[in-house]
Amino acid sequence: MPKSNPPSLRLSDFDLDGAVRETFARLPHETRSGFLRRAAGAGSVVAGAAALRPTTAAASATAGDFSILNFALALEYLQASFYTEAQRIGALHGALAQQADVVGGHERAHVKAFKSLLGSAAIKEPSFNFHGVTENPDAFRSTAVAFEDLAVAAYKQQAPLIQSRAYLAGALAIHSVEARHAAWIRRLAGFLPAANAFDDPLSDSKVIDIVNSTHFVTLQTPDTSAQTSPGFTG
Amino acid sequence: MIEGNGTKPQGAEDDQRTGAAHLSRAGLLTRSFAVLGALAGSAIGAAELAAAPGSQLSPARDREILTLGLLIERLQAAFYAEALKAGRLTGEMQQFASEVGGQEQEHVAYLAAAVGPSAGKSPGFRFGDATTDPSKFLATAVSLEETGLAVYNGQGVNLTPEALAAAARVVSVEARHAAWARALAGDVPAPVAVDVPITVSQAKSAFAPYLT
Repeated sequence: MPKSNPPSLRLSDFDLDGAVRETFARLPHETRSGFLRRAAGAGSVVAGAAALRPTTAAASATAGDFSILNFALALEYLQASFYTEAQRIGALHGALAQQADVVGGHERAHVKAFKSLLGSAAIKEPSFNFHGVTENPDAFRSTAVAFEDLAVAAYKQQAPLIQSRAYLAGALAIHSVEARHAAWIRRLAGFLPAANAFDDPLSDSKVIDIVNSTHFVTLQTPDTSAQTSPGFTG
Repeated sequence: MIEGNGTKPQGAEDDQRTGAAHLSRAGLLTRSFAVLGALAGSAIGAAELAAAPGSQLSPARDREILTLGLLIERLQAAFYAEALKAGRLTGEMQQFASEVGGQEQEHVAYLAAAVGPSAGKSPGFRFGDATTDPSKFLATAVSLEETGLAVYNGQGVNLTPEALAAAARVVSVEARHAAWARALAGDVPAPVAVDVPITVSQAKSAFAPYLT
């Protein structure tokens, strides 16, 4: 029976190698600065009215929407890669293996959906190094809890900023699936699936900071020559 | 929470569209529906819910939707309270009813405050032996949580951004409840990659048997 809340679910607690590394900041498309600029744009509109969804029903997609979809795609790349690697390594068994199979399939479907919607505007998939957490059931569980709770908070922050109703409908339908994933893995990890009456959003910059701190994104794809800081050397 | 003041400067929408001008709106909608449909097996439902031609987002519409949310939360809170009072649940099922029931009560207070004076009092509910028979309890819990989640998801596109931000704090918790209930029932907690929304009338039909 789930009895406790984990003391912390922050990915920043999984600082596995101590390397100073940027993560989403190294997303390859148009170099890091391009991604961050767009992500920052998506966040800054929270403070202003300019990007609030128009009050007409037929709201259409905007450049801001593409920014948000790319941000979501980045999170889905991270999760899909994590589960896919865990499945490939095969260290999980029983209920945990089933969770990785089913949830991995969902995250890959989310990646496919966002790539399809974004077309040529989609960011490319970065390289990941999960530093062994996919090889150890305990580390896998902890990391999966953190990923899923993070995804819920990230989608929750971005959804009200989406202009297109079609994209919003899709984002909301994925947001609740991420919450199901979170509840599922929390239960398997011995935590309450729903620990609080309210889930709070998390800003894109905080999400990026947390992912950065894990050092899971380690390599850039070849088209990112504008990289200004040293690459991962661990 | 959204900090915007709710007004939109004239022309802001056009400015934002510029960056996406090379993609036609119709094409985007078609593609997104196709993707959603392929994932959820519900292209028609997603399109119906997302299109809602001519409808306007407004505080009045927000209140209408949040009032439905309040009914859902009142129904769920009453269901868990009655089951706990009946005292037939044990183990993790009892824990589920206790934890989730408490959260539904918090949702009732939250949504009643959001709706304001028109929230009124809760209607009466009847649950039959669903609160005394553990297996019926679990099946009913799954149904109530799934139905509530699906109608919240369907109405999200009809809320103003401020109301959506407020409702979203509740919706993902409902999804957690649904997943937990399904796990207890031995089902896959997340059966599909994209949750399928339902309409308000579908939700009202599903809830009707519980209203006295």
